[in-house]
Amino acid sequence: MSLIETARLTKKYNGNAAVDNVSLSIREGMCTALLGPNGAGKTTTLNMLTGLIKPTEGDIDFNKDYAGDRRKHIGYLPQHPKFYGWMTGEEYVSFSAELAGLSKKKAKESTNEMLSLVGLKEDRKKKVSGYSGGMKQRLGIAQALVHEPKLVILDEPVSALDPIGRREILELMKKLKQHTSILFSTHVLHDAEEVSDDIFIMKKGKIIIEGGLSELQRKYQQPAFFIETEKAMDNWLSSINEKSWIRQSKLDKKKLTLTVEDVDTARDALLKDPMLHKLKLLKFEVAKTSLEDLFMKVMR
Amino acid sequence: MMKQWGVLFKKEWTESARNFKWLWLPVVFILLGVMQPLTSYYFADIIENFGGLPEGAVLDIPPPSGAEVLAGTLGQFSQIGFLVLVLAFMGTVAGEKSHGTHLMVLVKPVSYFNYLTAKWVHILLISLSSFVIGFAGAVYYTALLIETVPVNNVLSGGAVYALWITFFMTLVLCLSALIKSTAIVAFGSLGTALLMSVLSMYTPDLMKWSPGMLSSHSQMLFFSGNAGDGFWVSVGMTFILITGIMILTIYLFNKKEVAGHTE
Amino acid sequence: MDELTQALQENWALIAPVLILQAILMVVALIDCFKHDKTNGPQWIWVLVIVFINIIGPILYFVFGRRND
Ligand SMILES: Nc1ncnc2c1ncn2[C@@H]1O[C@H](COP(=O)(O)OP(=O)(O)OP(=O)(O)O)[C@@H](O)[C@H]1O
Ligand SMILES: [Mg+2]
Repeated sequence: MSLIETARLTKKYNGNAAVDNVSLSIREGMCTALLGPNGAGKTTTLNMLTGLIKPTEGDIDFNKDYAGDRRKHIGYLPQHPKFYGWMTGEEYVSFSAELAGLSKKKAKESTNEMLSLVGLKEDRKKKVSGYSGGMKQRLGIAQALVHEPKLVILDEPVSALDPIGRREILELMKKLKQHTSILFSTHVLHDAEEVSDDIFIMKKGKIIIEGGLSELQRKYQQPAFFIETEKAMDNWLSSINEKSWIRQSKLDKKKLTLTVEDVDTARDALLKDPMLHKLKLLKFEVAKTSLEDLFMKVMR
Repeated sequence: MMKQWGVLFKKEWTESARNFKWLWLPVVFILLGVMQPLTSYYFADIIENFGGLPEGAVLDIPPPSGAEVLAGTLGQFSQIGFLVLVLAFMGTVAGEKSHGTHLMVLVKPVSYFNYLTAKWVHILLISLSSFVIGFAGAVYYTALLIETVPVNNVLSGGAVYALWITFFMTLVLCLSALIKSTAIVAFGSLGTALLMSVLSMYTPDLMKWSPGMLSSHSQMLFFSGNAGDGFWVSVGMTFILITGIMILTIYLFNKKEVAGHTE
Repeated sequence: MDELTQALQENWALIAPVLILQAILMVVALIDCFKHDKTNGPQWIWVLVIVFINIIGPILYFVFGRRND
């Protein structure tokens, strides 16, 4: 049973679709990544899911088991979270909890728990205006979790952080995965591969690839050869380019990447080719393409 | 529902305490309030000392009546006082919108009605308290230095003026909720108040219904204990307008998108 | 001049509260200004504004000088 589902979700600004006909389904208990370059429409999509903006067309359905205003069941970390700087970290999280309907006592307990979870226990009495970027991000996660939402939506939770901060948040997300469903956006495939179960890749407002992570990895892992020679390969490449065992070739001066149908056939054919030897081989490597290659290709 | 309103109201309250609005707004109104009786009282002395009157000239200004001084105080409130109130509260919603702090509040299951009315009650509470304490200062100093004005006149006039402030602050909240630029909020609300007062002054017959008549009604109450023609019309109309503006503001705020450009 | 000073002295009890309120306004604004390391614009200018512009100075500081983020 999916937690939230959209049908033909579209958002137009002055006739231009920022989000175009997006139908996606987030599975309960899973971590889902919404992947795409700048301007793909990730934030716009997430804002429609949270209700901060209204779709031009299309529907959003939240699981019927969780009744009422769907904001009750969603925790949200915006891309650039802005806090009331005059509050302390503790006050802010507790304020968020009470807004979501927790009793004062419950809010306090939950606040303490969340602040320990994100590692802000020490700094909980400090004014938020004095927090660093990483601390604010963690505070943002704490306020998103404090009312124990069914779905936690994080908009680019790691983009603004340095490598250490990034690591911390990714580890935190792995911990969170055990307890709630997560939907997060990112423009880095690596982050998605690290924590998510499902991936949606967006470009120019449309979902272009979707599926389970392992399924996608399997589907897009293809055998390939990396070849480097001393002399230029252009002529030779055009002579073999029509061969049936070649799927794709990419030549970058003296470096060639060949994606092929079958490793053995290709290896035999290549190594028997006298023309290739004349070019003076420097490197001949059998490898596999990854989701990364696909992602880069799609993004271009 | 009520509980959430309380949470939002407490947030406003704490914020105003921490940025000293609860201190400086009342202080400004007290200073404005006592300044008028003081300067009226010392007016003759001040002119004699600094006015450069020819030697031997005798200044013969009749001392102002208590009612005149109180009316003058309201004049100060309507100018400097309103300016200060606008500067203090023009950002009550607009500021949160331009910072983006409202997003994380409104993404919680928060009713927009609660969000706006908590702010409304809060700014009314500070403005009216500041007015009451400043006006009390004016009445006290007037009684000491000039003359006592009948209590009934003072109370009824003050109450009518409080209604004018309420109308004005409702306008400030409305513009702040619907417009992002605080400068436009300030000009818009001050401009509307000014326009209403000026129209009421020059075409009182056409403007009988207008809230802009309220301050002249309150001045008349000081002088005679009786308000002018059409008093109840303008009081009634003011209540209707306040309710109408609030309903419209909440309706439009609901219709508007919370998140602007997504950058 | 004498008359005015005399008049003021007679009513010293009435003038004193005004001066005290002005002082409170100034002191609170100054304390706040020193407590925040971030103001809109240079801090020392705000200190001058608060100290030398009577009443209006502290108000200007509270409205425009404090940074609230
Ligand atoms: N209020 C708006 N008015 C006009 N265009 C908008 C508005 N909001 C977003 N857009 C446009 O919609 C497109 C999608 O924006 P969105 O912020 O959703 O992308 P994103 O995937 O979140 O990008 P990023 O990685 O930069 O955060 C962009 O081209 C953006 O300029
Ligand atoms: Mg974005």
